[in-house]
Amino acid sequence: MSMDFVVNLLPFIVNGLSLGLLFALIALGFMLIIGVMELINLAHGSLFALGAYLAMVLIAPSADWMGTFGQWYVGLPMALRYSLALVAAPALVAVVGMGLEVCLRPTYGKDPLYGLLLTFGAALVIEESIRVIWGSAEQTLPVPPGLSGPFLMGGLIYSKYQFFASAFAIMIIVLVWLFLERTPYGAIIKAGAHDSEMVRALGINLTRLRLFVFGFGTSLAAIAGIILSPIWGLRPHVGVDAVIPAFLIIVLGGVGSFWGAVIAGVLVGLAVGMTSAFASEWSLLSMYLLLIAVVTFRARGMFGKKSVLEA
Amino acid sequence: MPNLYQSARHWVTMPMLISFVFLFSIPFWIKGAGLYQYLGVEILIWMIYALGFNLLLGYTGLPSFGHGAYFGIGAYAFGLVQHHLAINVWLGLMGGVLAASIAAALVALFISHRRGIYFALMTIAFGQVFWFAAVKMHSVTGGEDGLLDIPRPDALFLSLDSNTALFYFAFLFFCIVVIGLWRLIHSPFGKIIKAIKQNEMRAGFIGYNVRLYKFMVFVISAAIAGLAGALFSMAQQSAYPDVMSLHVSGYVVMMTLIGGGFVSFWGPVLGTAVFFLARDILGAITHTWLLWYGLMFMAIVMFKPEGIAGIWQGLVARKSKPNEEDISPVTLKEASHGRNASV
Amino acid sequence: MEKKSISRRNFLKKTGLAAVGAGATLYGPWKHNRVYATATDKPILIGMTSDASGQYANSGASDRRGMMMAIEEFNAKGGVLGRKIKYVHMDTETNPATGSRVAERMITRNEVSFMIGAVSSGVANAISQVAQKYGVIYLNSNSSSPTESGKNCHRVKFVWDGNGTNFAKAAVKNAIDAFGKKWMLLTNDYVWGHNTSKATRKLADAYGAKFVDELLVPQGTRDFTSYLLKIQQAKPDVVAAAVGGDDQKVMRQQVAQLGMGRKPAWINNQQDWPDVYGLPLKNLFGVFGTTWYYKLDLPGVKEFVGRYNKMYPETAMQVPGNVFYNGYMATRELLSAVERAGSTNNIKVIKQLEQLKVSAKDRMQHFDAYMGPNHQMQQTVYMATANDEKAWKQNKNDLFKIVSWAGPQEVEDAGAIAACQMESYADTATYDG
Repeated sequence: MSMDFVVNLLPFIVNGLSLGLLFALIALGFMLIIGVMELINLAHGSLFALGAYLAMVLIAPSADWMGTFGQWYVGLPMALRYSLALVAAPALVAVVGMGLEVCLRPTYGKDPLYGLLLTFGAALVIEESIRVIWGSAEQTLPVPPGLSGPFLMGGLIYSKYQFFASAFAIMIIVLVWLFLERTPYGAIIKAGAHDSEMVRALGINLTRLRLFVFGFGTSLAAIAGIILSPIWGLRPHVGVDAVIPAFLIIVLGGVGSFWGAVIAGVLVGLAVGMTSAFASEWSLLSMYLLLIAVVTFRARGMFGKKSVLEA
Repeated sequence: MPNLYQSARHWVTMPMLISFVFLFSIPFWIKGAGLYQYLGVEILIWMIYALGFNLLLGYTGLPSFGHGAYFGIGAYAFGLVQHHLAINVWLGLMGGVLAASIAAALVALFISHRRGIYFALMTIAFGQVFWFAAVKMHSVTGGEDGLLDIPRPDALFLSLDSNTALFYFAFLFFCIVVIGLWRLIHSPFGKIIKAIKQNEMRAGFIGYNVRLYKFMVFVISAAIAGLAGALFSMAQQSAYPDVMSLHVSGYVVMMTLIGGGFVSFWGPVLGTAVFFLARDILGAITHTWLLWYGLMFMAIVMFKPEGIAGIWQGLVARKSKPNEEDISPVTLKEASHGRNASV
Repeated sequence: MEKKSISRRNFLKKTGLAAVGAGATLYGPWKHNRVYATATDKPILIGMTSDASGQYANSGASDRRGMMMAIEEFNAKGGVLGRKIKYVHMDTETNPATGSRVAERMITRNEVSFMIGAVSSGVANAISQVAQKYGVIYLNSNSSSPTESGKNCHRVKFVWDGNGTNFAKAAVKNAIDAFGKKWMLLTNDYVWGHNTSKATRKLADAYGAKFVDELLVPQGTRDFTSYLLKIQQAKPDVVAAAVGGDDQKVMRQQVAQLGMGRKPAWINNQQDWPDVYGLPLKNLFGVFGTTWYYKLDLPGVKEFVGRYNKMYPETAMQVPGNVFYNGYMATRELLSAVERAGSTNNIKVIKQLEQLKVSAKDRMQHFDAYMGPNHQMQQTVYMATANDEKAWKQNKNDLFKIVSWAGPQEVEDAGAIAACQMESYADTATYDG
């Protein structure tokens, strides 16, 4: 009897895990910026959306306006265009992110509230710009045909793309970890997160560090957007669905903790996935209730260190 | 013996009188200005909302991104009182204020010991919880269809059916809220919350129960939001969950900041007027007005966080007398040089 | 000294009260009785209350285009009652508070003659209340909530779209015959979702179906995998999905990815053309409803599409769909009713609209249409599925394959008619634009 129950439960656990990895991917860039800049970037969601839209443009641009170049480009294999978009779109978003960092400079040293409010305004501006440029209609972000479609496992159908996305998320998480742990740049970023004054005292250009971190963090938001949009759809306010889970994961995992964010992401994914299965009406609310519970009982989260953000 | 002028100013100042007279006159010329009575009502109600909100944001330094919940609860409470208890405007308004206060008190139990980012996050989370409840409990609230057919009961035998009459009814409450808040800010309570904004830890060390004060401020600002919400449900004659959404809760934050809520009592009033006028006038011309407003908001946060009131104060600062009592939330100097980080 | 400050306070109080009194007497009893001298050179002003931002921005734009085409056609014939038709549009932002404000502005500032346009039921309700207060006729062109013409009906409001119950009625019996009796419900957890699922359940029960489960989908759900896994485990014959808005778009995406569009059989409710135009064909799984399709083999359809293309050559949506169609029809019938009434007096026009009958030919539908007693246009309802790949490859616009249609009597929403309790003519303010 209980074996049956577990067997029935398994698919939902698997789904929850895959969802969790995707959530962790969303939270990565968010976490980096909080860790180093001590700033909550409310524009994370809009940049997430922007990444997906830019990728859509890069993958399948309308050949008409580009003339012969356009014709040739659309003729290229999908996988090639997709890979190009996966690299180029985040790079473009990183530029926007760095622009945002420049805008934030007048607010440094002041009440962190100003920075928060500025990113709130930026989120609005970016979303509205997306609407103006691409319209409000639902669009699709195409994926290479090899990656999409169903596959059977244990008698149930799963989405090939969802598993590709989760695997890709794992790869990105590992890459970012390697970067932070094994490269000198990563060490600087970690130091900056720990003590920005000291970093400056050591002669490292804090301005350039902040610029870089912002670019890096926002490009991760864009990557998350590109990966998630084939699952969530593509419309101007798709980013809003990314911001709240990102908050929750950071709080749950603990500010400034890399593995905290990853583990928390997986936990949130499991929570949403499992409630979807057994108490579906509460699946979204469970996220907010979890956030409230964590902040109430352990604001530092699982692995967090005390930070300026804490009260 | 306190100077006559000074003691009167504790209740009603010149700027207050001017604003009262100005607002009072609006219904007479608003049509001539190319606008319409309902807009005046809506602006006035949101001014009440924003003034209460600024007690929390500008004076105590607590950012709430979920205040729409209390506005919405006030609106629903008013409607539910009319539908199920009695068709009575005073009962309805009391119900709105009470419901919002109770909800805020419950929330404040969880968050009154927090500040900054965590405070903001929690207000967002609770705001979403209330929104969710409003949509889900549709047998009570009407869900996304809204709570409809909310009447405008007579106030002391005066009919509130016309928008102009409702404007003056709301104006009455505007005056009460303005004078009340002014008094509150002017009192020791006001000094304490400003101290909390400057440095919470220090205020605690001096011996104030910081958590209690934050709790009270939260509830008071929510009560005012509830009052505004109840008045709004009369204006619209219905109540919807949309005011509780993150998007709309963000509006009051933006309005308050742009108007200069951080440096001036009148900031929220200015900010509200600018927001609604911009929306109405620009919105008639272009569909992308929110984009321009967002850009303006960003520019103000970057270059002039003291907002419109701050700009005004800067212009007037040269003429101000040295012994004028300073009742602004933060002096202009502080704001322009930025606060020291409160680590 | 003390006396002076007190008296100042009193003075304020007294002026406050006096103001309220003055206001009340100046603007007295609220029922406006506005009559303009029907000058033949004062244009008829139509207020378009459609969304240009928010979730329904795209449909709002389509709605508006339909209205504009109808207006242009009438103006080409010299207007109505010798008066030109002008229009003004304001974005209702898919937000009811904005809807109220826009309605008030249009009536008190722009002094519109009529108002048209809605997709979201909340916004439509907000506008209807204002419209009823002043007596301005309001056409709800595209909101398909059963409550629109049910408990939230109004004397001045007319609904032009089919609602969730109509489509459920059209779909259910056929689905049971075609697919089987083991059913499952997927319900978006808000009023429209619940009302639609309730109607589906009632109908299916009557035909002998058995419901194994009802899964609630909260608004804003982005992961449907759990639901799809449960559906796979339960193995129903039919899944009746009452999922709308953005949730429906996400659901379509994920079901398509899993290739679950064919088995089980899906019954979706109404599908708005702007929501699916341009999406891959496999996203369009299951059976769904619509009030009109651009490739119906009926007289007049081709010319209609031709007129659309002529007027909107640049638009991304190369052919019109049901939202455009409803906006057009609502506007056209309103203006015709004004002609027949011989005046813009609201009661006269309302009475004309209440007796409205439009032939199938004029409607470009299979059956004649008529205005129901609850002010909802009773019309033909079509059931469609995604077109075959081959046919679609030849013409990317040809997304649908119409599988069946039902006449208005067959799909009538008796519940809405019973629930509707309209204000009387006497209780409705007179208004003349």
